[in-house]
Amino acid sequence: MEPIDIGLWVSGGMLVLVLLGMRVAFAAALAGLVGLFLVFWSKRGFDPEQLGWAITVAAKTAGQVPHSKVASHELSLIPTFILIGYLAYYAGLTRALFEAAKRWIAWVPGGLAVSTVFATAGFAAVSGASVATAAVFARIGIPEMLKIGYNKQFAAGVVAAGGTLASLIPPSAILVIYAIIVEQDVGKLLLAGFVPGAFSAVIYALLIIGIAVIFKSVGPPVRGFTWRERFASLPAAMPILFVVVIIIFFVYNPFGEKAWGTPTEGGALGAFIVFLMALGRGMRWTELKSALVETAKLTVMIFTIIWGVLIYVRFLGFAELPDAFATWITSLHFSPWVILVCILLAYAVLGMFMDAIGMLLLTLPVVYPAVMALNGGEFVSAADSAFGMSGPMCAIWFGILVVKMAEFCLITPPIGLNCFVVAGVRDDLSVQDVFKGVMPFFLADAVTIALLVMFPAIVLWLPSLA
Amino acid sequence: TEWNVSVWGKRRAFTEHIEKLAELVSEKTGGEFTMNVSYGGLSNNRENLDGISIGAFEMAQFCAGYHPDKNRAITVLELPFLGVSDLKEEVAVSHAVYAHPAVEKEMAQWNAKMLMTSPMPQYNLVGTGEPRDELSEFEGMRVRATGGLGEAFRAVGGVPTSVTSSEAYQAMESGVVDTVAFAQHAHLSFGTINQATWWTANLNPGTVNCPVVVNIDAYNALSDEHRKVLDESVSEAIDYYLENYAKLLKRWDDVLAEKNVQKVMISDEELANFREVAGKPIHEKWIADMSAQGMPAQELYDLVFKTLEEHRASN
Amino acid sequence: MAGAAPVLEDGSLLSRLDRGLLRLERFFALLAGLAVLSLMFLAVRSVGGRVLFNAPLSGYVDWIMQLMPLIAILAVSFAQRDGTHIRMDLLVARLGGRALWLFELISVLLILFLMIFLLWGSWAHFVRSFDFAAPLWSRDSTIDIGLPIWPAKLIVPVAFFVLCLRLCVQAIGYGRAMVLGLDSPVAVPLVQDAAAQAAAEAETLSEKG
Ligand code: NA
Ligand code: NA
Repeated sequence: MEPIDIGLWVSGGMLVLVLLGMRVAFAAALAGLVGLFLVFWSKRGFDPEQLGWAITVAAKTAGQVPHSKVASHELSLIPTFILIGYLAYYAGLTRALFEAAKRWIAWVPGGLAVSTVFATAGFAAVSGASVATAAVFARIGIPEMLKIGYNKQFAAGVVAAGGTLASLIPPSAILVIYAIIVEQDVGKLLLAGFVPGAFSAVIYALLIIGIAVIFKSVGPPVRGFTWRERFASLPAAMPILFVVVIIIFFVYNPFGEKAWGTPTEGGALGAFIVFLMALGRGMRWTELKSALVETAKLTVMIFTIIWGVLIYVRFLGFAELPDAFATWITSLHFSPWVILVCILLAYAVLGMFMDAIGMLLLTLPVVYPAVMALNGGEFVSAADSAFGMSGPMCAIWFGILVVKMAEFCLITPPIGLNCFVVAGVRDDLSVQDVFKGVMPFFLADAVTIALLVMFPAIVLWLPSLA
Repeated sequence: TEWNVSVWGKRRAFTEHIEKLAELVSEKTGGEFTMNVSYGGLSNNRENLDGISIGAFEMAQFCAGYHPDKNRAITVLELPFLGVSDLKEEVAVSHAVYAHPAVEKEMAQWNAKMLMTSPMPQYNLVGTGEPRDELSEFEGMRVRATGGLGEAFRAVGGVPTSVTSSEAYQAMESGVVDTVAFAQHAHLSFGTINQATWWTANLNPGTVNCPVVVNIDAYNALSDEHRKVLDESVSEAIDYYLENYAKLLKRWDDVLAEKNVQKVMISDEELANFREVAGKPIHEKWIADMSAQGMPAQELYDLVFKTLEEHRASN
Repeated sequence: MAGAAPVLEDGSLLSRLDRGLLRLERFFALLAGLAVLSLMFLAVRSVGGRVLFNAPLSGYVDWIMQLMPLIAILAVSFAQRDGTHIRMDLLVARLGGRALWLFELISVLLILFLMIFLLWGSWAHFVRSFDFAAPLWSRDSTIDIGLPIWPAKLIVPVAFFVLCLRLCVQAIGYGRAMVLGLDSPVAVPLVQDAAAQAAAEAETLSEKG
């Protein structure tokens, strides 16, 4: 058996384990361990006397990965981003945002749903995790919509879809993970997420307005707020601006001066500000403790997937699979655009069955080099490239596309994490209800992705300034 | 025989001797002995010695400063102001130290055997703002420099600041650091040169030391013929590296001109001062610390200077 | 999907073991959470020091790298206890009774098999960085200020050992459920349908009581 054959067999085995319901992190790590063992043993010609040696080397190689991959300065952004989200909840930011959005924009058709989308987008600017955002707004947004007679399923769909925005709009754990896997500048990627994230929110809003105009029953506009009431709602939502400004300024200073520090520092300072606010709003040790334990739990869940999948990726490295795939992709006689669209479609299908982070970690080590090769390599200039952008810009653009696909996979059945979370928070909603309500947003996401593919400038404008 | 070789980053001047070695070995054995160079696929850069020790791959590159406690003996080569003036001298000094029994013993703990060095030029500074050409201007300067180099700058009032090499560009852009100490190829590949307004041409504070090692068992398991080919190809590979790096250094001046980066020359007097403050005391401290740990520190230290003398005499 | 699921408790030895282990796991999770909080303060100190006093925190990156295993790995068993680690329960959710417990048992045993090897491997990783004869017992140090790395590396086998204990408890829990044909066994996370069922039963009980 050649290493590449081992790579294919073991990868297939892993998929089976995942489908059979083994926890994804451990299924990937087990595949990696067994794969490493086979690769080492094959190197000694499957000699029975070398069995012990192969097992030892595989265990020790795999056993390095958890510490070695996790002890990373850049990855420390992930727990920080998660903590911000939990603290923001205790700081009352969620309700304040929703209230402000309601008073300012609920007068449009489908008003409360549109307000919910923009409030989730605002909360996305302090929350690094889509799932957390959906969970929080399921508690706040859905009851208000139901009160004025919204369709239950549609209300749930709005929250599930709106929650996904937290992955594109920085801070974002998924963008950090992408940056780490592909070894690109974390700051530039976070910056690149802003415009497409806001863009996505606008498309959602347009879709809702369209639906509300056509089907009057969906949701009436909410009018009657005075300008005084509108402005009165702002101060409580203001702190979001602080956090956004800090994160932007620590990545890139729009006034052409030096930025204020590194993204890691910016994220942690943002958390600190929200922490102070939460203290000011009466958070005490009990609440802090539960925020910390919840943060630890979500963090360890994400990192277990990270190191588990990276054991598998380490095995792929020994099996030389990524190189082989990149060579194969570039040898195909299709237009690079066709191949790119096929890759995105493959993500849409895979995303139906997998969670977002696992999907990215599993596929990117193979797919990313292939896409870069397709564009003409890491150092290609915009003029010589297939997609009309330089190597580093292609890395950013593809990253945003992939993260948007990952957001999409959070709401597609049968495994749409956000829909499960919304159904979990609301006893009166089944998962099927949420999936039905979120259906229209597939259209919005498809439009968004198509526009991001056709007009890369939406993604690349901001990072090209930095 | 196929060997896996673990290096990191991208193919660059710093890895050309390894690529050349792989090419030579395969050529000379008619494809019987090949090397498969992997850029980051097999290990983290800080764990290449671990991988060699485990036996996961047969050959690897690492830098002494990444983990001084793993390789105390060769940190002598990273002391500031050793006075090494070019890459040939760097090769001579490194290989002499690598052959010292204390180094061999320490490497054997990792089941590793030194094969060759990856000579690096002096880590001169690039900086933003006004050029700093006097010692007094180093006061309060935030500098990205690790290990012994960082200590040297601290001794003259600089503030060594933690940033990873991949973050160096961002750190300069954001003012987290004012200056970055790198070899020329790294200033190019990490983009710090694009942020710079000046470069110290003759500060020559010191450099890092990055050996290439082989797994002892794998080395011994080679056939006599293959082992001979490997050993004999080292000097050819190093020659190729030097030649290639020389081209890069030649291009360096053009890059400076093109990016409008000022070449800062520091006066002999200032340099002597710097060496006085940051050279001797740090050397003495290193000798004292390492001797206390049972390392033949004085011997290693003297070996550096003896080799330098001999090398200069022979040329 | 993810699914933190309810874990039933009673007075049996297995349930007491489960809760005893949970106490340790909660403590680990709190430590991990405090470590996240300390990231925040480190950044404040680093930026504040730099901006106000031109004295950035020496070794900022090193300290973060030391904290990360604490944050990212120590609570791995806490998340296993109630089934927080993500999986696809498309298939599992359709099973019931002994078939379900068999699947869960096999899955847990496979994880245990994996973790025993990773426990060994991560212990070896620690041992390579540890040397009784060296100052601070260190044979591996951080890049910038030379902190010994072995304490951070030791966290991994410690966390994995606790996870192995947790997996043993769960294996016994599922095994017991399979042999005895239980509907709602203790000490294991229940698949949501089964959990809902258990909750419903509890409700009818309280109605009657
Ligand atoms: Na976000
Ligand atoms: Na999905």
